[in-house]
Amino acid sequence: MSIPPLRTFRITPRDPNSAQLPSSHLGKALTAEGFLDTDGDLHIHGRVFGRICADRLVLGCGGYLEGDVVARDVQIGGRLTGRIFALSVTLDSSADVTGRIFHNEVTVAKGARVDARMPWRPPSYFESLKQLPEPRP
Amino acid sequence: MSMFTRNDKMPDANIDEAVRVRETPPVTAAPKPAQATAQPLPTAPAPRTTGVSVISKALKITGQLESTEDIRIDGEVDGDVRAVSVTVGSGAKVKGTVYGNAVELSGTIEGKIEAEKVVLTSSAHMSGDVIHQNIKIESGAFIAGNCRPEFGKTASASKSTATPMGLGAQTRPSEVSRA
Repeated sequence: MSIPPLRTFRITPRDPNSAQLPSSHLGKALTAEGFLDTDGDLHIHGRVFGRICADRLVLGCGGYLEGDVVARDVQIGGRLTGRIFALSVTLDSSADVTGRIFHNEVTVAKGARVDARMPWRPPSYFESLKQLPEPRP
Repeated sequence: MSMFTRNDKMPDANIDEAVRVRETPPVTAAPKPAQATAQPLPTAPAPRTTGVSVISKALKITGQLESTEDIRIDGEVDGDVRAVSVTVGSGAKVKGTVYGNAVELSGTIEGKIEAEKVVLTSSAHMSGDVIHQNIKIESGAFIAGNCRPEFGKTASASKSTATPMGLGAQTRPSEVSRA
């Protein structure tokens, strides 16, 4: 299975008309493996192993994600092992994140477990993100 | 931002109210509604997680999906899908094998279906084999491939997950007779 090209997100939020794109929901019992690409919202309560490109990603409490995330807006309430590339990152109090968080603005709630580097990047970095950098230890 | 402001404001508001209550006891009736409106805020952002997974039409998945519950696919899946009940909506596309107890197809599958109960609706487009125990094909459905019943294999493979469905089907008539 070939690796699909990186789908970059729009820096500016979508206009209200296109916001009606139906959001996808991966339930608690679902395990997905591979590449998930969407222009809309993605809610994950199950387990995902792989790369996610979305406009907005919500990893619900109890959700587990192993891999990289590229999105405009990311909200984490579950466990994540991997890297986040997002303009806006919110880590809820139930979040457990290991890896790297490339962000333009980040919110970490009290109680979140974060074992990660959080490099700040200007919006232009995310705009010109055509290929994910090689993971470094 | 909102996270902190919300958490910080809550105790602040309470303290303010408590102070106000202490200072001016007759005004207790006024702050109470304010407290009531402030309380639902933290609980609001937790949406109820339904068991059914929905792959919306904007989503493309390259890889495998596996679930012990139902899956509804309106988008594109390039890989195998395994679930109790799989619904492939019209406009959806699956390239790969779909395994399940019940599969309802209104979109396109390029690959194979292996399920106990298969429903191909009028907009279904199936290129590949269908292995089933029970099949319904509406007029207008497109099939390019073999349809063959296979009783031993699919039953044994999905027997453990099949029992709830069987029970459900059995209980329904008894409930009707009771009524």
